Amino acid sequence: MRTSKFIALAVISGLSTGAFAATEVIHQQGRAFSAESINVKKGEPLTFLNDDSVPHNIMSASKGNEFNLGSQAPGSSVDVVFKEAGDVKVICAIHPRMKMTINVVD
Amino acid sequence: MRPGHVGRIVSLGLAVSTISLAAGGFPGVGFGAALVGEAKQVSIQPRAAPGTDALKALYRRPASVPFPKDNPYTPEKAALGKKLYFDTRLSVSSAQSCASCHSPSYGWGDGLAVGVGHGMQKLGRRSPTIVNAAWGSIFMWDGRLATLEDQALGPIQSAGEMNMPLEKLMKRLESIPEYKPIFVRVFPDEGMTAKTLAKAVATYERTVVSERAPFDAWVEGDDKAVSEEAKRGFAIFNGKAQCASCHEGWNFTNDGFQDVGLPSSDAGRGTFVPGVIKMAHAFKTPGLREIARREPYMHDGSLATLEDVVEHYDHGGIDRPSRSDLMRPLELTAQEKSDLVAFLKSLSSNLTPTAAPVLPR
Repeated sequence: MRTSKFIALAVISGLSTGAFAATEVIHQQGRAFSAESINVKKGEPLTFLNDDSVPHNIMSASKGNEFNLGSQAPGSSVDVVFKEAGDVKVICAIHPRMKMTINVVD
Repeated sequence: MRPGHVGRIVSLGLAVSTISLAAGGFPGVGFGAALVGEAKQVSIQPRAAPGTDALKALYRRPASVPFPKDNPYTPEKAALGKKLYFDTRLSVSSAQSCASCHSPSYGWGDGLAVGVGHGMQKLGRRSPTIVNAAWGSIFMWDGRLATLEDQALGPIQSAGEMNMPLEKLMKRLESIPEYKPIFVRVFPDEGMTAKTLAKAVATYERTVVSERAPFDAWVEGDDKAVSEEAKRGFAIFNGKAQCASCHEGWNFTNDGFQDVGLPSSDAGRGTFVPGVIKMAHAFKTPGLREIARREPYMHDGSLATLEDVVEHYDHGGIDRPSRSDLMRPLELTAQEKSDLVAFLKSLSSNLTPTAAPVLPR
């Protein structure tokens, strides 16, 4: 039931922005995020792409926008959609030097 | 706000494909959580394996020691820090100093499987070395302290270690007349406080740097500096044995938290990041400089020799959900194992002996 709600949300956003939805991509090459900070609209997907040679575990404990991608193997790509406006502090649980902020705007 | 370097990909899939929520051992859906989509496999260009010269360049020694802006280096500050570091009066028993467990005689560790604390009680984990701590990004085996300044006050206050509450510590220092003038000279605006004590100790620790090892001479172009076994070991370290995935760069660590499958029930980093599967039994990757002098090995000192360590990685450790995806049987030959050990031994420098400081009375 949650699945169909999510598809509904995605279809709605697809209709409003056109059939082709371009997403911002955060790369993780060299044990580093490709951006220190990025702006994203609430409800707009952000792609986390592991184009590094080692697994990463991207997550955030920021209230309202928590997520945990688990261990992402090289080559894995996952989209995340943020529901609340605000600053989301994103880290890699494995690599303490990997930090970035996502500014979710309305 | 700087968007930084981002790529844009066209995603046809989002509106039409079946979307299932990715598992992650995490209360992902519910009010106030971000929505995680399906994981997709993307083909990424595998980079060609770098040649030996390109690899060596990744391991060059840095030109200088980094000091933080809010605690810059001065020789007087480091000298004060050295006195404090060796001063047993910072412990309640007056019998233990930082140097008791992080001793220059043992590669800046203590040569024990696990440390010994207040009342000669055994602690739970091995005493880490302070060599090259200036380059660390996070401290303690479980990463619970962010800076060296924070770490300096940890064992001092810990009941199991030096067992000295900060108030008592400052009174003890005040009873030693020669200390205060030194603090006032080094920290004219702050004087003698727990904070300036931590700043001084951290500054001294940052001066403890591994010296030039045979490996460094080889990296810089002296082809005779290391044996052929060590050169083969370097290739295996970066290739088949994939050690460099975690033990990368000139200090041989990226500070990453990994469960390497040791038979230990210690929760490690998992205590601080519960619900993240890969953090259970995960410990901070240590550096490998001076490693031949720093036995025994691992967070609990459970592996006595470098050969034992290589064996452990060759077998892959306990297969459990938290184990790093990088851990797996390596199928190394006997020659490859001995080459790896020869390479690790080339990381030892002739550490200049450390003179014990004269302490204030």
